Amino acid sequence: MTAINEGIQFCIFDLRRGQHEGQEIDKILFFSPSDCPFPTQLSVIGLCEGIITFTRIFSPEAPCEVIEAERHSHVFYEAESDIWMVMVVDKNKDAESIWRGDALRDILKEVHSLFTMFHGSLRALLEKQPSGELARSHLYSFITDYLTDFHVGKKIQMPSFRDCLSERKTIQMLTISREVAIEVQSLVTVIGSSCIGNTICNSMILFQDLLVSTTLSPDDTTNLFTYAVLRLTPHALTSNTNSWSYLRKGTSAPNVAANTAVSNAGSASEGYQHRSRDTSPGGQSQRFHIPRPLQRDKWSKRKDGFVVTDVWGAEVGTSIPLSPTLWLQQTEERAYLCVYQHRNLTIMLLIPVCLMINGEQGLSLVKKQLFENASQKIINVEEKLSRGWGGENAYHVSGYRYLLVDRDMGISRASPPGKVTTLTKDSLLALNKLREEVDLEKSRAKRDKPDSRKDFEVCIRARNNAWIIAKVTRGRELYMVLEKANETLLFASDAVEKFSNRYCDGAFSLD
Amino acid sequence: MDSDPGPLPPGDGPSNPNANPRPDPEPKPQEYTEEGRLSSLTLEDSGNAAGARAAASNGSLSADFYSGDEIEEEEPAAASDSVDEVQRAAGEARASSSHGGVAWRGNLEEDGDAPPSPSSSGYAGERGSSGESGIEEDDASVSWRKRKKHFFVLSHSGKPIYSRYGDEHKLAGFSATLQAIISFVENSGDRIKFVRAGNHQVAFLVKGPIYLVCISCTEEPYGALRGQLELIYGQMLLILTKSVNRCFEKNPKFDMTTLLGGTDAVFSSLIHSFGWNPATFLHAYTCLPLAYATRLAAAAILQDVADSGVLFAILMCKHKVVSLVGAQKASLHPDDMLLLANFILSSESFRTSESFSPICLPRYNAMAFLYAYVHFLDEDTYLILLTTSSDAFYHLKDCRIRIEAVLVKSNVLCEAQRSMVDGGLCVEDLPVDSSIRSGSLSPHLGLDKTAVGSLSSRLGTGGPAGLWHFIYKSVYLDQYVSSEFSAPINNSNQQKRLYRAYQKLYASMHDKGTGPNKTQFRRDENYVLLCWITQDFELYAAFDPLADKV
Repeated sequence: MTAINEGIQFCIFDLRRGQHEGQEIDKILFFSPSDCPFPTQLSVIGLCEGIITFTRIFSPEAPCEVIEAERHSHVFYEAESDIWMVMVVDKNKDAESIWRGDALRDILKEVHSLFTMFHGSLRALLEKQPSGELARSHLYSFITDYLTDFHVGKKIQMPSFRDCLSERKTIQMLTISREVAIEVQSLVTVIGSSCIGNTICNSMILFQDLLVSTTLSPDDTTNLFTYAVLRLTPHALTSNTNSWSYLRKGTSAPNVAANTAVSNAGSASEGYQHRSRDTSPGGQSQRFHIPRPLQRDKWSKRKDGFVVTDVWGAEVGTSIPLSPTLWLQQTEERAYLCVYQHRNLTIMLLIPVCLMINGEQGLSLVKKQLFENASQKIINVEEKLSRGWGGENAYHVSGYRYLLVDRDMGISRASPPGKVTTLTKDSLLALNKLREEVDLEKSRAKRDKPDSRKDFEVCIRARNNAWIIAKVTRGRELYMVLEKANETLLFASDAVEKFSNRYCDGAFSLD
Repeated sequence: MDSDPGPLPPGDGPSNPNANPRPDPEPKPQEYTEEGRLSSLTLEDSGNAAGARAAASNGSLSADFYSGDEIEEEEPAAASDSVDEVQRAAGEARASSSHGGVAWRGNLEEDGDAPPSPSSSGYAGERGSSGESGIEEDDASVSWRKRKKHFFVLSHSGKPIYSRYGDEHKLAGFSATLQAIISFVENSGDRIKFVRAGNHQVAFLVKGPIYLVCISCTEEPYGALRGQLELIYGQMLLILTKSVNRCFEKNPKFDMTTLLGGTDAVFSSLIHSFGWNPATFLHAYTCLPLAYATRLAAAAILQDVADSGVLFAILMCKHKVVSLVGAQKASLHPDDMLLLANFILSSESFRTSESFSPICLPRYNAMAFLYAYVHFLDEDTYLILLTTSSDAFYHLKDCRIRIEAVLVKSNVLCEAQRSMVDGGLCVEDLPVDSSIRSGSLSPHLGLDKTAVGSLSSRLGTGGPAGLWHFIYKSVYLDQYVSSEFSAPINNSNQQKRLYRAYQKLYASMHDKGTGPNKTQFRRDENYVLLCWITQDFELYAAFDPLADKV
């Protein structure tokens, strides 16, 4: 186990717990690697807590973000009030160990929002069961499953500078023609109204790993989109590969941690006293079932086109699997997640749990109805989208390697991964560095003037003669690498101008 | 003092060691509250506090640290000499800066009162002050916590050595917290570089038994803060040499404040210079503009004395070099010059009499003292003669008399004064001739010749093409020239903001992993900044933010 998690520690702790001497261990809600000895766990958390307390002397409003040491970086995220997530990454392993702090923090944010979508907030779990074992066991299985996507060989590898032309926690959209858009809209209406009476249900449609349509709020969309790309799309269903990194495509995830994890928790307080080298709750009582939505290879497509899983357990006394549910932030209610797939099209329907009085039975009726009402439309839309689809290099712009982020909409578009890999390491390192600077400027501007947006641009002619460009304007960000480019600054700004006019409706153009 | 005092033989040390008596209470760790919790918490977690400290010390101290008593008795003469020398030098420094007493104008926005231009040092209000301000503050005061930029120096045992704000003795608890953080990370086999929380950054620098910390919300990048901590450490070495480490080897709880007593003004003025003196991040020095013949005359006479056993002969006008001559093969690092000039300019006593005092040039030889003969020839111009010989006072005095005579005769001093009044380069004076510009900047940066003409009509808001300010550094010469501030950048806050923008640009261009980059164009709501680095030079320029790339 130690070898698997080498190079990264991941912990979650609650500063409201374990305030008395001798009970410090009660603070820990999650620690990876789980076989890390308690004194080590406590010392990691002790340092984090000490630094949090210390920085509050000077910065009572803005919490601690990072501890940078020669050999490690500690990246902080206060997920909920007094509940902290910290990732400790080791810098010394190899030359690839160069990160961007905000990219690592985005992982913490992502895992927390996904967790909340399925299990609700950590504070609520802790209030529900103050001993903390409920929260601990949920976290344990969830994060362990989440981290399997970062396994490379026997190690967990976090996104590095090589991923600087991609943006986590954003969605990627499919560009569609006006004509197709109208058909998609009509399909959305049909599936939304096909369940119960007059209620219109929320839905989300993906073509391959790209969003086609959503009726959910931006936050819910981002979370469900992330989940779909991780586990539900055809690509996620058919491959064992890690979906997040273009570099590591093709390496198979060992799945070790997930399989050894026991989904049921033991009495944490007891367990902690006795087992000095294992924080994994397990082997004890089977008091509650914990759905593991991120467990790999647990979703499968049935012949009728519905994509199903049994990780939510079975109906009492039967073997009929329970339908998955999740929590929507916008409506503040639980909804069943129904997934239908036709070729490259994935349709997710969200039916409020409160409307399904007769549970699974009602759901299968809705599914049947959906299939009858919409199947022809689904086939048509899929066909049209497939016909218009430019393939995996659809969004490649010759000569450019770029990332476009629209913060307001939570959307990003980037050069295809295969094209990004053609860039030299020097270019990627330089862009990673520049993005760090931009991150700092942005967050500082946000704190100082929350209402106004900072516009700025940087063009760097790097050591290897590549132009490294960042331009932030009106909430949109453009990052670009131009290799083999002319050395004048005018060339670089012309290139940005052309790109902006052609692909961004002039958002980054002058005047 | 006498108008013509005798030499101060090094052995006698300071004439009045009690010139600036300071209270020296033992730090009271029990006084701190939440920080105490941190230190106890973190140290507890590591097993035991004593062990933690011993381990931390282990890395930086020689093995004989653990047989300290024995060494104390059988200390080889050389080593004990040097410890004595450290203490003597400290006294000297104390004596040097014990005069004057104009209090620093302290207020929370104190970061804002930079001198009007880099050519005037702005020491009037600063000289001889002991401690910057807020001497009554400590870590419990709101005003103290709201300071924009703190600097702390402490020993590896957590004893305070220096604090920019507040009395360091009152900050014993705080100091112990810093020590706990640093040694906690050291114990895990790592070394802490910085911590960031919101707009605040805490930068750490460990130099053997001496820990330096900066806590700032000034937006300066870590690299810049670290460079500043290095300079503070260098300033400390300039006064004490690195052999001060031996004091800690003998006694880990050694209280270094006694050695540095009375030198607060030196550190205050150094810290102040981080906000106005580009030499602090460029690692280069600047020269006073002078006619070629004038400088040649100065150089000739300095060269003359350098040949007679003087290691370095430097003629300076405030922070600007008039002429610099080194003995064969000896070269003076720009940082050493910065620290030396800062030491002399911030210590009142150098102005009132000729002085002969031991100083250390950390980049030249951090372990040994040199001897500096310093004499102010007029209000701003001063001569520094550095030698390795402790009994060279009379010789150097003779040298100075000779030099002074030549300088007066050849009008160098007058010229220097006139140059100080005239100031340096002004962007408004730059030629707007497009052929000249195209000869220098245009081919590489793609500046459009036709646009230069049209923009230059906006004189009064800077120079041609919207140019507001620039710095040019010659890599080979270790020198830079900087234009005077003009029109749009005319108050000290704007100047400081520009320097910080330059610092960011510098850090971005010189990143350890990816740098140096070749060019950079950066635009925000305040400026367009341009940086161009080649093997031979570095150019930093600020333009009107509305200026075009063309």
